[in-house]
Amino acid sequence: MTGTSGLSRRSILGATLATPVVLRHARGDEPIKIGMPVALTGPGGEIGAQMRRGAEYWAKTVNAKGGVLGRQIQLFVQDTAGDPASAVRKAQDVVERDGCRLLFGMTLSSEALAVVPKLAEWNAIFMSSDNGDGRLTGESFVPNFFRANTSGPMGTRAVSLYLRQAGFKNFYALGMDYAWGHNSIGVFKDEVKKSGKNFIADIYSPIGTKDYSTYITKIRQSGADACFLVLQGDDNNAFLAQAKQYRLGDKVQLLTEIVDLNSIHAVGEAAIGLIGSSRYTFTFPGDANAEFVAGWKKEYGNVPDVFEGEQWQACLMLQAGIEKAGSIDADKLRPALETVEIDSIKGKVTMRACDHQAVQRGFMVKVVHKDGAPDPVPDLIATFPADQVTPACRQMTYDS
Amino acid sequence: MDFFAFLVTQCLNALSQAALLFFLGCGLTLIFGIMRIVNFAHGAFFMLGAYVGYSTVHWTGNFWLALIVAPVAVGGFGAAFELGILRRLYGRDGHAFLMVTFGLTLIMGEVIRLVWGVEALQVKPPESLSDIVFILDEPFPVYRLFLAGAGIVVAVVIWQFLERTRLGLLIRATSQNAEMVYALGTDVALVRSAVFGIGCGLAGIGGVMAAPLVTASLGMAPNAVIDTFVIVIIGGMGSFLGSLIGAVLVAFVQVFGTYYFPDFAMAFMYLIMLTVLVVRPGGLLGKEA
Repeated sequence: MTGTSGLSRRSILGATLATPVVLRHARGDEPIKIGMPVALTGPGGEIGAQMRRGAEYWAKTVNAKGGVLGRQIQLFVQDTAGDPASAVRKAQDVVERDGCRLLFGMTLSSEALAVVPKLAEWNAIFMSSDNGDGRLTGESFVPNFFRANTSGPMGTRAVSLYLRQAGFKNFYALGMDYAWGHNSIGVFKDEVKKSGKNFIADIYSPIGTKDYSTYITKIRQSGADACFLVLQGDDNNAFLAQAKQYRLGDKVQLLTEIVDLNSIHAVGEAAIGLIGSSRYTFTFPGDANAEFVAGWKKEYGNVPDVFEGEQWQACLMLQAGIEKAGSIDADKLRPALETVEIDSIKGKVTMRACDHQAVQRGFMVKVVHKDGAPDPVPDLIATFPADQVTPACRQMTYDS
Repeated sequence: MDFFAFLVTQCLNALSQAALLFFLGCGLTLIFGIMRIVNFAHGAFFMLGAYVGYSTVHWTGNFWLALIVAPVAVGGFGAAFELGILRRLYGRDGHAFLMVTFGLTLIMGEVIRLVWGVEALQVKPPESLSDIVFILDEPFPVYRLFLAGAGIVVAVVIWQFLERTRLGLLIRATSQNAEMVYALGTDVALVRSAVFGIGCGLAGIGGVMAAPLVTASLGMAPNAVIDTFVIVIIGGMGSFLGSLIGAVLVAFVQVFGTYYFPDFAMAFMYLIMLTVLVVRPGGLLGKEA
């Protein structure tokens, strides 16, 4: 915390902290150690850095208030470089060497899938804050894994629920030419057909495409009124920048799976008008979110990004579980977490026992210009109830 | 969209891409022609141009200034690199140059990461180029017209420079017989530094011009270097006209290939390269190897 935080709280804090150290030791309270193997370099590096900031901010905040169960939070962060084998090694390190029985992190789903089979052996609980792969709460489910965040299928689901109520009739889709692009567009195509609308065609651009003029021409010519994009990184930035130059958005509504601040920052005005699902954005309504964003701004000087918010929610969920269980012992913590409920930055979020997926609402945002903000911001345009967004237990798909 | 409008706009698209490819290919081929070395760091110079362009626009708000600052800075850096390091390697075999220029790519990539960060950066073209014009009722970005125009202007300038100026004459002479030029009393080493600088400067200007289309990002270098090599192999190593033909050919094939056969978008470029290598191993206008 910076020295500028609320005076009254600080003085209370001061009093708590001033309680003789001896006393705390007398209660035999050791710190709560949480291991965080996370990708700080490599393909997931930017996301991993967000996760770490989210966890550090939480640790700092709760520690200043006297910790959880009166015990201080201690994080053990390790860089996995986004490599599953390394994630397993680093997780083993923090468990066996540092004595952590609680885990955060595992930026990529491939890392999480590699780590979860070991959790029982380590007697450790892993609270995921960003893993999207549906299998983690499906076929690869293990009792010590919990997912606080919105999963990949839940994001796609929000987009398809939005389509049913939106006025678009004819759809086109452009994706990157590899598994993710083909999978997502396949799911999307089904959803469009289910909602009785017309899917015109899909097209795939090779990874690293620099010139999108031909794709833009094809989208224009197709007569579609909306185009679903499954692009990321440089490819996504290049497409949005060039689509803006052709004024594609005047004719066709651009939809995307996930809207994140990084790409908005990279292309600026070219992102305006884009509609997509959002796991979290700082513009969400509610006092809890306003308080989180204000505290974050004070600490870091900018607004929290998607995975910083998601990590914060995961931290609160774990904290609520520990407080309910009165322990961090896996056998006591697991049943407590299975029924835990928090009211936080995304509203009410409930963990369910059957597959350890946190049940939460789905959000759709539109990128708009806001006076005073240097970059465009995602603005909430639709919210879907948790029971419609969360799949049935241990499922990755939806029946209706 | 009627077919004629489609044809015109797609040709203009292809020309704008050809311009970017030409800036890259022309520099690489000039350097090879004179020095007989393959500059593996060419993509990194292209990327550096984009980042220097970003900073210039960021600090001065002037894109036109960036079009001057970036090539001068990148060209100057290239010339300094030739003077300080490459010059010590002449007479060694080609592997030395590959290793050194490849190493330079890695170092430049890391330095750019440290200085500018990992996030992609936005470069805005000036207002006057951000508009659209209607070509046969089809909206077309002014910026792409500007790219196509700039490509033609730069091609003509370089051609005239090589044909009509004394330095151009020396460059052509050096590429044919360096010993003779040296014997006639010209400082060949200076010509080499100048050519390396000009080649890198061309990559730099390509980088600034590409930035509004693709943003300045760390992925630019590896991406660019592959396309550049394909162009130069098609056109013929060391041939100025070859690099121009290669750039136009690749751009047209990519634009129309992607339109009619989107599943094979990438394949066409390599198919041309393969055909050229089989029929004329030295490239369309290159010397037979």
